[in-house]
Amino acid sequence: MRTDTVIMGGGLSGLTCGIALAKRGQRVTIVASGQSTLLFNGGSMELLGNIDGTPVTYPLETIASLPEGHPYRKIGADRIASLADEAKQLLLDAGINVEGDAAANHWRVTPMGVAKHAWLTLSENLRIDDLKQLPARRLALMCIRGFFDEPNSMLANGLKELGFEVDKHEFTTDEITKLRRSPSEMRAASLAKRLSSNNALQRIADQVNSLAGDADMVLLPSVFGMSDNDSYDILKNMVNKPLRLVATLPPSVAGSRMQAMLRHYFMMLGGNYLMGDSAVKGTLEGDRLTTITTAKLGDMPLRADNFVLATGSFISRGLVADYERVYEPVMGLDVDADKDREQWTRFGVLEPQAYSRYGVTTDATLRCAKQGKTIANLRAIGSVLSGHDTVKMGDGTGVSLLTALAAAHGILSDK
Amino acid sequence: MVTSDIYKNEYDVIIVGGGATGAGTARDCALRGLKTLLVERNDYSTGATGRNHGLMHSGARYAVTDSESASECISENMTLRRIARHCVEETDGLFITLPEDDLDYQKTFVEACQRAGIRADIIDPAEARSIEPSVNPDLIGAVRIPDAAIDPFRLTVANLLDARLHGADTLNYHEVEGLVMNQNRVEGVKLFNKLSGEHIEVRGRVVVNAAGIWGQRIAQMAGANISMFPARGALLIFGHRVNKMVINRCRKPANADILVPDDTVCVIGTTSDRIPIETVDDMRVTREEVDVLLNEGIKLAPSLATTRVIRAYAGVRPLVASDDDPSGRSISRGIVCLDHAKRDGVEGFITITGGKMMTYRLMAEIATNAVCAKLGNTAPCVTANQPLPGSEEGAPNQSDMTKRYSFGERAAIGRHGSLAARIEKDNDIDNALVCECEGVTVGEIKYAVHQLHVHNLVNLRRRTRVGMGTCQGKLCSCRAASLLGELHHDVRRAQKDLADFLDERWKGMRPVAWGDTLREAQLTAAIYEGLCGLDMAVSNQGKEDKQ
Repeated sequence: MRTDTVIMGGGLSGLTCGIALAKRGQRVTIVASGQSTLLFNGGSMELLGNIDGTPVTYPLETIASLPEGHPYRKIGADRIASLADEAKQLLLDAGINVEGDAAANHWRVTPMGVAKHAWLTLSENLRIDDLKQLPARRLALMCIRGFFDEPNSMLANGLKELGFEVDKHEFTTDEITKLRRSPSEMRAASLAKRLSSNNALQRIADQVNSLAGDADMVLLPSVFGMSDNDSYDILKNMVNKPLRLVATLPPSVAGSRMQAMLRHYFMMLGGNYLMGDSAVKGTLEGDRLTTITTAKLGDMPLRADNFVLATGSFISRGLVADYERVYEPVMGLDVDADKDREQWTRFGVLEPQAYSRYGVTTDATLRCAKQGKTIANLRAIGSVLSGHDTVKMGDGTGVSLLTALAAAHGILSDK
Repeated sequence: MVTSDIYKNEYDVIIVGGGATGAGTARDCALRGLKTLLVERNDYSTGATGRNHGLMHSGARYAVTDSESASECISENMTLRRIARHCVEETDGLFITLPEDDLDYQKTFVEACQRAGIRADIIDPAEARSIEPSVNPDLIGAVRIPDAAIDPFRLTVANLLDARLHGADTLNYHEVEGLVMNQNRVEGVKLFNKLSGEHIEVRGRVVVNAAGIWGQRIAQMAGANISMFPARGALLIFGHRVNKMVINRCRKPANADILVPDDTVCVIGTTSDRIPIETVDDMRVTREEVDVLLNEGIKLAPSLATTRVIRAYAGVRPLVASDDDPSGRSISRGIVCLDHAKRDGVEGFITITGGKMMTYRLMAEIATNAVCAKLGNTAPCVTANQPLPGSEEGAPNQSDMTKRYSFGERAAIGRHGSLAARIEKDNDIDNALVCECEGVTVGEIKYAVHQLHVHNLVNLRRRTRVGMGTCQGKLCSCRAASLLGELHHDVRRAQKDLADFLDERWKGMRPVAWGDTLREAQLTAAIYEGLCGLDMAVSNQGKEDKQ
């Protein structure tokens, strides 16, 4: 198989890079293991949320003060604003209705009712632009009976602390009652699948409309639409008050939908998405990667002019730690990681953990290296990169989107 | 009984320590008609009781070196199979000889077992490989013995429950700050309620010190000196159960030579190190301990090399120097019961220590005999024959369960025996699964909160195994915290509790944080910090509390 670019990894960064290349006419193949951390994403993108425990209000202004090794510094602080605009437009083009501005963070509301900084948030989700000017005074928090993946008591409490008046209502419908008979089925994704028909949505709307009282906004858990926006759009029209959703515990319905819509867009642009496969080996000739071998294709290696590593962090097995070391499993690329196992972690679970900054080493053009020698046609993007901290800095999705676009520009300008 | 009424009571006997020994003593005392109070400074089973293999020794391990302990073990082993069968899994065990071991030891071992009354059958290595496929295939000898697995959390709770059914009162999170002394007589305990901050005195005619390694400090409060030698042992839990039977090395007891199957996982241990008494509260497992456990464990069952390690933990066994040798050279692993009237001239005070989790019932019987002697009570001990709640005649057991039971019900019957009937399952909400790894339902959590003294998620884990499976509480801990928040009507406490629970899980994961355990840690951080902002919720609380 002959392609211009092969991307290893089909999550947020891999798909974004693939879309940017395919839009410019490249033949792109994505090798996707099927695991994406978007399943843990509640429907927001973060550019930069925190530095050393202090919330960041204006990400673009703050990026210049990040340490040298941070991926944003590598791709150039002056390019961030335009790459961020491009990323937002790409998401909108894929049908993902996000709102937000890279210049100033807004607040998303987490399943536990915590307000957390974000750059882009799905328009269906509860979003707060200014904590002093809440989008509603009185909320009707609608809780699905027997659904424990929305910690409702914590959510209600958090919303009250943010200054909302909250009326908590529990409801069920025939579809939900049926689903509840199987004790392990009450998960967000199962609900979304069961609640997609017009009739099912109408029954929810009837419940909501009869219970919402004099609230001026209705909140529901985000369990609508695994692959498109239809469920929410239909429900919104049936509910006679403004309707917003709140993220649930994983698997995230909104995250699954973003993944599905990006993949759909990529394939619509002619991209080739190899689902359920993963790169296992690369062959180098001089300073160039010529082919990669995948688990499923076996002795039919993939050949391309350029390659992109978008395999993610430990969660996605883009990085592997064993008893003795941290390594990159496909190519054995150079990684930034402490050698001593005791340095990988800290004693308190909520302390910053060193391992979350580990990743592959790259130069300013995101090119990877092996044993100190740069590989001319292999770039790394997203969570596999070292020098950032998704959990503590709130920069994971931003790094994925922006490095993906930067790598795509690099590949296109090489020609 | 409500706590404030307990404070006003006067008791025949107050037992200090909520491990297996204390719980067993409370049960025995209550069954003999004594008005009984048990106090525990943390949660029940926090000390050595909850920090061992979960091995129900046949006694074979001690047969060669300590025949007295061996006889005690086999006798208690047979007793527990009757009275606590819902806590026991009858696995049997192997003592294997590897090429680097001396096969002659096997003969010594079998003879010693026979002298102690322990069934010990030499079997062919090929047969050993066939009945226990995970065993090191290079073995050159094998002996089959009646080892088994026991759940010490369940065992302790069953003893506490029965004590309460027979009129005893129990208080957890009550720390003994001092003893109520009247000249040379102990007349009660001074308590600190760690949940409410109250300081209270409760009177009792006899106080039993069953505080394990922390018993040295309790004895000091009465002016009695016991020389304890803390022996620390570290263990590793593997993510699934590779072995059906307990696997031991047939050699003199050494580091990491026992692999025990426990429910869905298996445990290798222990190391053994003498540590200073000042360090007994530091349960961090070191890198060196992990290395020893892994290297030795792989020799018992080679597949452990590729099995995920989910947790490391350590416990401290209270070894006691015999009174005529304070240097500590001659340390007894056996049961030590001290009547401080005879020994130190302090009336109304008994210490029960040494021994093993395995012999907790015998220790309780010995201690209760000493209490009864002081109080002139002549009731006989019945604990060796009377089944614990959950193991009565006719109670369902796991082997005869049919399809009538759901996964959650089967798991609950496994954990609570006949008491599982008290778990609400009248509606579909109570049947909903909170913890998928361990099959814990909403109903079981309600039962634990209402009946089993659950204040927080760590308590809940000890009562139900919630969060103990391979995912180590990734999603179930949030579901359970939210439920506890509603049942206790305190959401902010539930969030703090959730953070503490994740921290407690992390303490055990950190020493083995590589491979899939590191992945799980990153995933947990992505969910609870990234997605949910739990770290911010907890630190916001801290800021407000300061203001």
